[in-house]
Amino acid sequence: MSISRQSSLPAWTGTESYIADESLQAIVNVGVGLGRPLLVKGEPGTGKTLLAYAVAEGLKLPLITWHIKSTTRAQDGLYLYDTVARLNDSRFGDHDVRDIAQYIKLGPLGEAFARSQAGERVVLLIDEIDKADIEFPNDLLHELDAMRFTIAETGKEIRAEVRPIVIITSNAEKELPDAFLRRCVFHYIEFPDEGQLQRICRVHHPDVDEKLLAAALRKFVQLRTIPDLRKKPTTSELIDWLSSLRLSGIDAAKLEATLPFAGVLLKQENDTQRVNRASSMRR
Amino acid sequence: MFEGFHSVLRLAGLKVGVGEWLTVTQALDAGLIGPSLKEFYSTSRALVCRDEADYDKFDQAFASFFQGAALPTPVTQMLQSWLDDPLVKPPLTPQELEELPHYDLEQLRKLYEERLTEQTERHDGGSKWIGTGGTSPFGQGGEHPTGMRVGEGASGRGQAIAAARARRFRNYRDDIVLDTRQLAVAVRRLRRLERKSRRLELDMPETIRKTAANGGDIEIVERPERRNQARVVLMLDAGGSMDPHVRSVQAFFSAMKQGGGLREVEAYYFHNCVYADVYSDMALLKKKPLAELTRSVPPNTNLVMVGDAWMAPRELFSPYGSIEYGTTDEVPAIDRLRELGAAFPKRVWLNPIPENYWGESTIRAVGEIVPMFPMTVEGMVAAVQVLLGRGDRVAKRAPKRPWPAPQDLW
Repeated sequence: MSISRQSSLPAWTGTESYIADESLQAIVNVGVGLGRPLLVKGEPGTGKTLLAYAVAEGLKLPLITWHIKSTTRAQDGLYLYDTVARLNDSRFGDHDVRDIAQYIKLGPLGEAFARSQAGERVVLLIDEIDKADIEFPNDLLHELDAMRFTIAETGKEIRAEVRPIVIITSNAEKELPDAFLRRCVFHYIEFPDEGQLQRICRVHHPDVDEKLLAAALRKFVQLRTIPDLRKKPTTSELIDWLSSLRLSGIDAAKLEATLPFAGVLLKQENDTQRVNRASSMRR
Repeated sequence: MFEGFHSVLRLAGLKVGVGEWLTVTQALDAGLIGPSLKEFYSTSRALVCRDEADYDKFDQAFASFFQGAALPTPVTQMLQSWLDDPLVKPPLTPQELEELPHYDLEQLRKLYEERLTEQTERHDGGSKWIGTGGTSPFGQGGEHPTGMRVGEGASGRGQAIAAARARRFRNYRDDIVLDTRQLAVAVRRLRRLERKSRRLELDMPETIRKTAANGGDIEIVERPERRNQARVVLMLDAGGSMDPHVRSVQAFFSAMKQGGGLREVEAYYFHNCVYADVYSDMALLKKKPLAELTRSVPPNTNLVMVGDAWMAPRELFSPYGSIEYGTTDEVPAIDRLRELGAAFPKRVWLNPIPENYWGESTIRAVGEIVPMFPMTVEGMVAAVQVLLGRGDRVAKRAPKRPWPAPQDLW
C-alpha cells in the first residue's frame, strides 16, 4: 500500500452544513492519505453517518452507501448472482442466458471498486457495521485490504485502481474484531459543547431568535446532565425541538419553567418521569 | 523527534504494535500530519487507539511524554469502595473554611501518595485520610477548599484544584474482565438450529428434483428457515454483595441478550439466594412464584444463574432463611435450588468471585447443585460446554476442581 498523499485531492475542511472540528478534519485527511478506512464511533446524533455525506460533498466525490442490517453478509457487499432470474429467462425469456455477467449485480462495495477501476474516486459509507453478525467485519478484511475481488462465476476481477475513501460507522452494539480494528483509523466523535451546539443550531436555523436559542440550549444542556437518562437527547433532536418551538411561537421566558414538546427530546417514558422528578426537586 | 513516545504508550497499557507505530511515522513522513502538536495529538490517537476506551490511556501517555506529567497512581477498587455512599455532613462556616490548611498542587500530590501507602481502611467525615465528607484534602464530598477529589461520586465544595482523574475520557475506560465479544462468541455455541421458522427459504435440491420430475417446468419448493431454538433462563443476584461486580454482570447480560442470537432469554432476579419467588425486575417488585416458573419452562431450556453464592449458612440451609424484608419461605433455599435443579437438567452458575476464594463456603454447597464456574471468558466457555452436555471435556481440562455431572447428584 502506497502511503504518499493522494495529491489530486484537496484537504477536507468540513462543509457549510457540517461543522467539523480541527481534529476531525485532520483525521479524515490522514485516513484519506493513508488509504485506510475511517472507523467512526460516537453517541447517536453526533453526525457519524452525515460525516460520509459531508466528506463526499466537500471533496466533490460521488457517495455510495451500504446500510448494514442484522442479516447482511459480506458477500452482499461484493456481488449477487441472480440465479433465479437466469433460470426464469432460460424458460420464458428471450435473452441469451449463456452470458452470466448480465445476472451479476454488484453490491455497494463491488460498485465502489468497479467505479474506481474506471479511475473514478468514490466515497463508500458502510453504515452501522455493528448491526451485522459479529464475524461480518472479519469477512470483509481481505477485500478492504486488497481492494479487489474476483467474481467466481465469470472469473472477472474487480480491482480498485484508486482506493475509495471508506467511512465506517459503529454504534458499539457489538465489539469489533481486533484484526479489523488494526486496519482502521479510529475516531470517536465527542458530543459537541455548548459553543459548537450553538453553531450547529445556527446552520439549521439561521434566523432563530437569539433569546430563544440561548434559552433552549441552556435547557438542553441541563437535560443532558440529569444522571441515568436511558437515552440522552441528541443534536438532531435539539434541532427538531427548536423547529417545534419556533413553529409554536413559544416565548423564550416560558422555557425557563416548563419543558414544552418534551416528547421531541425524550423518547423513553422512564426518562420523562425522571426529568419531571428532577425538575420538581429543583423547585 | 517522537522516539520513546511509542514505549510510553505501551507503558500506559495501549496495545501499540510495530505496525501501528510505523503507520504513525509513515504518516508523519508523508506530510499527512500538520506541524502542530494538536494535530499530532488527534491523528496519532486515531492511528493508535482502537476504541474510545483507549483514549484515556492515550491522554495520560501523551501528557506524560510531552509535559512530563507523572502517570497518576491508579485509584484501586478498594479505594473506590471507601468512597461509595459518602457521608453527608453539615457545611462549614466561612471561618472554619479559612482555618483549614491550604495546599498547592505539588504538596497535594505528595501528601496523596503518602496517604495512599499508609491508609488501610475506610474513613468518613475525618480531616486526614482519603474518604468521604469531612475536611480532609483527599476524597470526595468533602469540605476542603483546596482538596483533591479522588474517585467517582458526588462532589462537595466543587472547589477542588486538582481532580486526580479529571481526564475527559475516563468514563469510557473499559478494564472489564469479560470481553463482551469473546463472551458473545461463547454464548453462540449454545445455538440449536432447527427448521421451525415461519419464514421460508428455497429448497434447492428438492426444487431441482421436482422440476426434473415435472419434465423441466420449474416447480419451486420452499422450506422453513433454520432458526436458533436455544432458550435461556437467566437468574441474576441483585443483592448488595453483588454491587462491586455490577459491570461484569452488565457485560455478561448484554452479551447474552444481543450477542448470542438465542431464541429467547428470560431474566429473573433474586437476593442472595432463590426462595419461594423470583422477580422479573431488579427492584424485586414483580413477583413470580418459583413453582410457576419451573412448571412453565419449555423442555431443554438452559438455566444460567449469576451470583456470588456467598451468604451466611443459615440463609442457605435454614427454613425462613431469607434476610430480605418481606420474604418468608419455610423451605430452606438449598431445597429451592434442588427444585430448580430438577426443572433444569441443563444448568450452570457463574460466579464473579475468583475461583481461589471459593473455599469451603456456601459457594461450595451451591456449586454441588448447580455446577459453578468463574465469570471469566474461560469459565463461560466451560459453562457452555456443560450446558451442551459435554461436561466431561471440561473436567479433563480443569482437574483441580472436577464437578460431578448433574445426574450423579440425585
